[in-house]
Amino acid sequence: MLDKRILKEIDYIFFLSLFFIMTVGFVNLWSASAAAGCPFEWKQLQWYLIGSVFMVGAMVFDYRELSKYSLHLYVFTIILLVLVMFVGKTVSGSQRWISLGFFNLQPSEPAKLLMAIVISSYFAQQEKENFGLRDLIRPTLLVIVPFLLIFKQPDLGTALLVLIIFGSIVLFARLKLGSFLIILGSCLCAFPLVWKLMKPYQRKRVEIFLNPDADPFGAGWHVIQSKIAVGSGLLFGKGFMKGTQAQLNFLPEVHTDFAFSIWSEEWGFVGAVLLISAYFIFLLRCLNIAQNTRDRFGSFLAFGITAMIFWQMFINVCMVLGLLPVVGIPLPLISYGGSSVITTLLGAGLIMNVRIRRSLFQS
Amino acid sequence: MKDEKEIKTPDTKLLLKRFEAGTNQEKQLVCTYCSLIVGVCFLFLCARLWYLQIYRGEEFKRLSERNSIKYVRLQSYRGNILDRSGRLLAGVEPSFNIGVVLKDVKDVEGLIAKLSTLLDETSTDIRMRLVSSKDQPSYLPVIVKRNASWDEVARIESRLYRLPGVVVEVAPARQYPYGTVAPHLLGYLGEISLEQIKSGNFPHAVPGDLVGKSGIELKFEKELAGRSGYKMIEVDARGRMVKVLKVEKPFPGKDIQLSINLDLQLAAEDALSGKSGALVALDPRNGQILAMASSPKFDPRIFSKGLTEMEWKQLNDPVLTPLVNKAIQGQYAPGSTFKIVMAAAGLNEHVISPYSTFFCNGSMKLGRRRFRCWKKGGHGQTSLYKALVQSCDVYFYNVGLKLGIDKISRYAFGFGFGKKTGVELPGEKNGFVPTRRWKRRRFKEPWQKGETLNYSIGQGFLLVTPLQLARMAAAVGNGGRLYRPEYILDEPPKLESKVPVRPAILSRIRKILVGVTEDKHGTARTCRIPGIHVAGKTGTAQVIKQKKRRESEKMAWRYQDHALFVAMAPAENPQIAVAVIIEHGGHGGSAAAPVAKEVIERWLKLRSPKPSTILQRKL
Repeated sequence: MLDKRILKEIDYIFFLSLFFIMTVGFVNLWSASAAAGCPFEWKQLQWYLIGSVFMVGAMVFDYRELSKYSLHLYVFTIILLVLVMFVGKTVSGSQRWISLGFFNLQPSEPAKLLMAIVISSYFAQQEKENFGLRDLIRPTLLVIVPFLLIFKQPDLGTALLVLIIFGSIVLFARLKLGSFLIILGSCLCAFPLVWKLMKPYQRKRVEIFLNPDADPFGAGWHVIQSKIAVGSGLLFGKGFMKGTQAQLNFLPEVHTDFAFSIWSEEWGFVGAVLLISAYFIFLLRCLNIAQNTRDRFGSFLAFGITAMIFWQMFINVCMVLGLLPVVGIPLPLISYGGSSVITTLLGAGLIMNVRIRRSLFQS
Repeated sequence: MKDEKEIKTPDTKLLLKRFEAGTNQEKQLVCTYCSLIVGVCFLFLCARLWYLQIYRGEEFKRLSERNSIKYVRLQSYRGNILDRSGRLLAGVEPSFNIGVVLKDVKDVEGLIAKLSTLLDETSTDIRMRLVSSKDQPSYLPVIVKRNASWDEVARIESRLYRLPGVVVEVAPARQYPYGTVAPHLLGYLGEISLEQIKSGNFPHAVPGDLVGKSGIELKFEKELAGRSGYKMIEVDARGRMVKVLKVEKPFPGKDIQLSINLDLQLAAEDALSGKSGALVALDPRNGQILAMASSPKFDPRIFSKGLTEMEWKQLNDPVLTPLVNKAIQGQYAPGSTFKIVMAAAGLNEHVISPYSTFFCNGSMKLGRRRFRCWKKGGHGQTSLYKALVQSCDVYFYNVGLKLGIDKISRYAFGFGFGKKTGVELPGEKNGFVPTRRWKRRRFKEPWQKGETLNYSIGQGFLLVTPLQLARMAAAVGNGGRLYRPEYILDEPPKLESKVPVRPAILSRIRKILVGVTEDKHGTARTCRIPGIHVAGKTGTAQVIKQKKRRESEKMAWRYQDHALFVAMAPAENPQIAVAVIIEHGGHGGSAAAPVAKEVIERWLKLRSPKPSTILQRKL
């Protein structure tokens, strides 16, 4: 299984950047926990450890096995998402969690990863090199089911993320230019329809994003306070545990969605850039892996998971910086949450799996 | 596609699909583009950060410093707990908490010294409280004294300017207009623990909040707690309020009306005071709990103010166990009260008839062992009536031998022993009914006949809770229906099962049991009440094994026998069923029956058209 040839391929920069991000996550949660009044940092450390075990687990078998089981994985995803509709715990209006006793599983998190695997596997098996509209009908149907199930929870952010991951892989698989333009056009036309389907609070968030000052003490509060928090960090930040915005409870959800905001406030421009640089290096290494494997499935898989991590990070940071409406998408490995941490580390393990087995094809 | 090679790797035998050379190049290009896109996004985010933190940073910094809007939490009022006629058992009243904001304190030790003189608290207690809260953010006040008296508040308020960091907060606190009624049933409140906050079951709670920790307060936490609101206020540089921007009102908790009758509850608690034991009174017609008392009691208020070590030790006394609700958590051998079940089983299985007799000469020999009757000289020729009224042990040894262990256990289960009654209170115990299989598994030896004899008079392995005993009495009283005991007034009765005995047998036993209180040889003549027929049965349960009986009184208190008594009244058509246990009380007739009598008499007075005068005097 793990012979010398495989171990030699391990990418240390990849792991170093991951480790750096997790360290930041722990330190940051230490501070955020004090603000939230509940110690999350040790719990998160526990998720890091469990996630790392999963990551190593995701490296030891041959990733090509996954392709054989993609149908099973797909059915499993659907079952999880249907299950959460019936036995899910409802927290502030959304039914997103399945209680496993020791752990509240949020099925939409692993669903992102599982869908990335399933879609990659689908496209890797196609005999084409250039996809038209008609070739997209089947995979779209494949994606629309989990999309609707997550949308129903309601969790618009994660639902859209599944679509975005799908879109990224389609583009990677190469779409005909005409088809691309048609899809782009129809997306724009579909926007009013989506708007109608959205819940009132979701609509409000978009409206607030466009004009946060309309209701500064109500729905606009989060965006305004987050921008103040980030901005007031200046070059070097206010110092560890000294962020007034976070510690005095002006900021909401400091340990989950707005974790980057407290980091930027306390560590300033330098800290914030350092953290996103770590993501940047990590993502470049991932893309490098997708580029340098000669196996179709491996390449698609690495790319799909990379897209998943990239979009989550990008959307979350944009949201915190007031560039996107507030959606419930966590910052991978920084936001508190067992489901998210384990999913991300599992994904990272699969990407590394692709890399360490590339030597098998070069003979 | 013609270039695509399908090769099998030797170790995995998995299908490989390589990119053809041209496509591979294209893919390389796509990946490069993607890296470029990621790079652009990275630069874009950096630019945004630069714009917010450097370009407009000073402006935001000013905004954050001037950020003058504060959330103030508005606590909700906890729901009331009422008795069946609407009298307030537990309500709320405003109380004052004195807290310390550690961030604003310069000389902590000096402050502790000052507070200890102002608050009648030892400085170690105050220091302990400050230390134990070091996990919470320093700008939140740590409560050093809950429920401060008017005097203390006045002393603090007048010196506030000399006590930086000290705050006086108003918070709703539980009050008990009738004193500490049924603390075991109602439960107590305590500060929420970190584990509870993390568990997510208290979505609106923050550290320092009081939540139910036992009894009804715990079981109905969600309903009682309500939901806290908040107020968004603008403050000036010195923290004083300028104006209110937004208010979300707190949502008060729901009231809960119990089936408990305050008069009966008070009567029970008075009768039990000074003793260790429990009393349960049920309405046999629907299973509602009319009174549930456990003694010694405790004062639920002391938990919310924080316990001293001394108080904690007292509450956890291993012998008296004041915190344990003995009515549902105490497990005792039922003693002779179990003879009711034995009589019913014997008649139902036709191994005895109401007229058949056994001869009691004071003991029964089985193998080489002698099993004694409590009466040394024996009861002579004994019928079922005599056996129950005078509680003859030898009679029931004979019944036990005829029935055998398996049947006895079946009837014990049938009367609701050995499993939870299902009352919705945390921590209810099962009790225990022994079986042949259990004995073999547990002790690796078969069931002994001698154990059957002990079993027949309610000694040995068999254990019951007072609630189970009361429910058994209620079932004898209502023709065999086992209801789930219910303490919420509006809950419809829930029939759990039926006792596997013909109702005619139960009503015959009830008639016989009247003799226990009224016959001149009855064991519970102390519970005779003029004007009403009370059916009852005494019991005396050994605490330790002894060779000879009747030495119990001479021994130390904690080795003395438990006294038990079950009763139902009026015997013709029971409307109240009572079970009493007095730990180490001695004889059931002398120790337990008078307690039951108090409660039944009170119940009788309430039933009579004249209004109760006793209660009015009490209040």
